[in-house]
Amino acid sequence: MCSGRIDPSLIMEAFVNGADGVFCGGCLLGECRYISGNYQAQGKILLTQLALKRAGISPERLTIKFMSSAEAQKFVKYVSEFMDKIIELGRIGKAENLSENELKLKLEAVRNALEGKKLRWVVGKRTEFMESGNLYNEIFTAHEIERMFKEVVMDEVDLQEILLRLKNKPSSVKELSEKMRLPSHRILREIANLKKMGLVELEDVSGSSPLWKTVDE
Amino acid sequence: MEEKLRIGVFVCNCGTNIGGFLDVPEVAEYSKTLPGVVYVKENLFTCSESGVNEIKEGIKNNNLNRVVVAACTPLTHEPTFRAACEEAGLNPYLFEFVNIREQCSWVHKNEREEATQKAKDLVRMGVARASKLEPKDRITAGVIPSALVIGGGISGLSAALSLANRGFKVKLIEKEKKLGGLVKSLYKIYPENINAEEYINQKINEVKKNKNINVFTSTEIKNVGGYIGNYKVKAENDKGNELNFDIGVIIVATGAKTLSPEGLFSYDGKKVIDMLQLEDKLKNDGISQYKNFVMILCAGSRNNERVYCSRICCMSAIKNALLIKEKNPESKIFILYRDLQAYGTTNEETLRRAKINGIRFVNYSLNKLPEVEDNTVRVYNEILGKELLIPADLIILATPLVAPEDNENLSKKLKVTLDENGFYLEAHIKLRPLDFSTNGIYVCGTAHWPASTEESTTQALGAAARSSIHLEKKYVMVEPIVSSVYYEDECRGCGLCASLCPSNAIEMVETPKGVKAKVIEVACRGCGICGASCYRHAIRMNHFSDEQIKAQIRAFLEE
Ligand SMILES: Cc1cc2nc3c(=O)[nH]c(=O)nc-3n(C[C@H](O)[C@H](O)[C@H](O)COP(=O)(O)OP(=O)(O)OC[C@H]3O[C@@H](n4cnc5c(N)ncnc54)[C@H](O)[C@@H]3O)c2cc1C
Repeated sequence: MCSGRIDPSLIMEAFVNGADGVFCGGCLLGECRYISGNYQAQGKILLTQLALKRAGISPERLTIKFMSSAEAQKFVKYVSEFMDKIIELGRIGKAENLSENELKLKLEAVRNALEGKKLRWVVGKRTEFMESGNLYNEIFTAHEIERMFKEVVMDEVDLQEILLRLKNKPSSVKELSEKMRLPSHRILREIANLKKMGLVELEDVSGSSPLWKTVDE
Repeated sequence: MEEKLRIGVFVCNCGTNIGGFLDVPEVAEYSKTLPGVVYVKENLFTCSESGVNEIKEGIKNNNLNRVVVAACTPLTHEPTFRAACEEAGLNPYLFEFVNIREQCSWVHKNEREEATQKAKDLVRMGVARASKLEPKDRITAGVIPSALVIGGGISGLSAALSLANRGFKVKLIEKEKKLGGLVKSLYKIYPENINAEEYINQKINEVKKNKNINVFTSTEIKNVGGYIGNYKVKAENDKGNELNFDIGVIIVATGAKTLSPEGLFSYDGKKVIDMLQLEDKLKNDGISQYKNFVMILCAGSRNNERVYCSRICCMSAIKNALLIKEKNPESKIFILYRDLQAYGTTNEETLRRAKINGIRFVNYSLNKLPEVEDNTVRVYNEILGKELLIPADLIILATPLVAPEDNENLSKKLKVTLDENGFYLEAHIKLRPLDFSTNGIYVCGTAHWPASTEESTTQALGAAARSSIHLEKKYVMVEPIVSSVYYEDECRGCGLCASLCPSNAIEMVETPKGVKAKVIEVACRGCGICGASCYRHAIRMNHFSDEQIKAQIRAFLEE
């Protein structure tokens, strides 16, 4: 097995089950036994960090470091630094100012987003975009990839969070906007998307702020 | 019905290696409380004969269906313990290894309590994973006992001979009309200065005489399909005939070429020539009219465009300088260098001899390149700190070996990787220096990197030996730690997994349900990139499945 085996879903398994930090170690870039495995890992970690950040969870709780099997000192240094960082941040949720329930919901949302088809597709295609370009032969730089990741991650994490909240309790756009500390036009946009996908519907049209709920299966 | 878990845990003291630094009895006692565990045994040395017998008896007497050993590393003893399970009738993949030595007792020698706690955590995680293990069978496939060698230089010839002399059939493919490669163009070969032509012709004759070798000159590879043990190779010769070969292993020995000196240091091919032209002049007694020789090393290399060192040019230059001196003791020879690669005792000795024989070495830097003028070379001597004007009747440029452009093409057909300079890239610089990452394909000689004939030959023999392991065995066996398109209905045939696979172990096949990914198990090396990337979660990693790893993660985080 290779660091390329690291599936964001494994990382989220750890966070959802109470981990305060996740450290990934890989071989030195360019020295991977499986050629590109650690680059794959790097992309997936970046994506996961962005998703955590979007959900208001410190992305510093996740790191990836590269070293060879002969670099024990480096390993110790990286792990110690990471431990110090996590101790400084404290228990997950604390530094983030999130109640236990809110934390759980946010982590679920991140997990669902990362396990979803869209983000997996985007991170999977990253190598191709960076090496051979897209269908129009446009090659993307690391910076452009990160920007693209950010946009897709934003949509996906917000969408999943809204979905989870509506599953718990039908809510209005205003309520969601307050809870998620996001402008209502963003919420509206995601609701429109969810509606198009047939995942949410109006529960109650009466009144000035209609309530949305998830569609029962 | 799901069988009930009956897990046995064996905790090793490793003499005092583990037992001396953490509380093994406490770890053993703790293991008894873990879900599914029905039997726990502490061993002094689990790997000893008595330890191994205790595993076997433990399995038989307690009907164990999973075994966990907490000891050292899988690298040292996984085969031992797996064999013990197998002998007691338990599938070896129902065995789980927990490392409480390298990853625990040895690194926490001064923290007994914490080390004991960590060992408990590790065992708990191991037991959790063991609960999810599934029996697996090793994967085997036949190997066609025939090798393909691409390239008929000294490397390809040596590899072909080595394999043929051991009784294997070899197809040797050379794209030029004649065998021999670069060595054919040389005069003498350092370090012993043997006659290059005699040497290479002798090898060529041996190859031609060998009944196990089929030589195909003026032939090029068109297409390579299949995988280790079973390659289908299509080639075509200059007459347009198509040739088809069934091949077990492939050796790439396509060599390198010298950088064209055009445009460097006023190269004109007459007064300013390159090292290969000098070799030719030496061969044909064409140097007697010159007296003042200047050789410029690193011509067109170790600059921004080509950062690497070509390794053979220094010694080629020193060799030829000495040969000129031999033919014409009156000649004056200057070698302009940036750094000298005269590694190894024989080369050091040759360098010393060159200095004793009056060959002058002048150090220059990349910032102040020598300038070729009429009958002189102007060079800033870095050591003296001043400019020298050296008379020159013949100026020789040592240009580096560069990768042939064709590499791009052939590497794609073989599905192997090139490095940033276009040379073939080995699987691992230290662990697998002659293998490609793709199983069953090997590299040797200057195809890989600039090397002397001695180094090339050594590599060729190594590559032949490596590849012969499969030919000799007649089958390849791989661990069933491979990926599988387990949820085939989920697969949409997008090909993402195949494009990311570093082992080219995934092919897209037509099925009644449309195009689907299919894992070529013998080619898969179990890295797991495909599974972690499949956007529809269609791929499962055998023996390191999501369920198994997640069980481990959850066990660790249990309060
Ligand atoms: C000027 C000079 C002087 C040198 N002097 C010395 C010396 O004194 N001592 C020493 O040890 N070394 C010396 N060398 C290095 C030596 O030439 C190499 O070590 C040697 O040639 C390496 O052999 P090879 O078989 O790996 O590659 P090559 O000799 O390059 O042979 C490769 C062969 O593969 C063939 N080929 C390429 N592509 C394909 C393809 N796609 N399909 C089929 N066939 C293909 C080529 O036509 C060629 O015949 C010198 C090199 C130079 C340039």
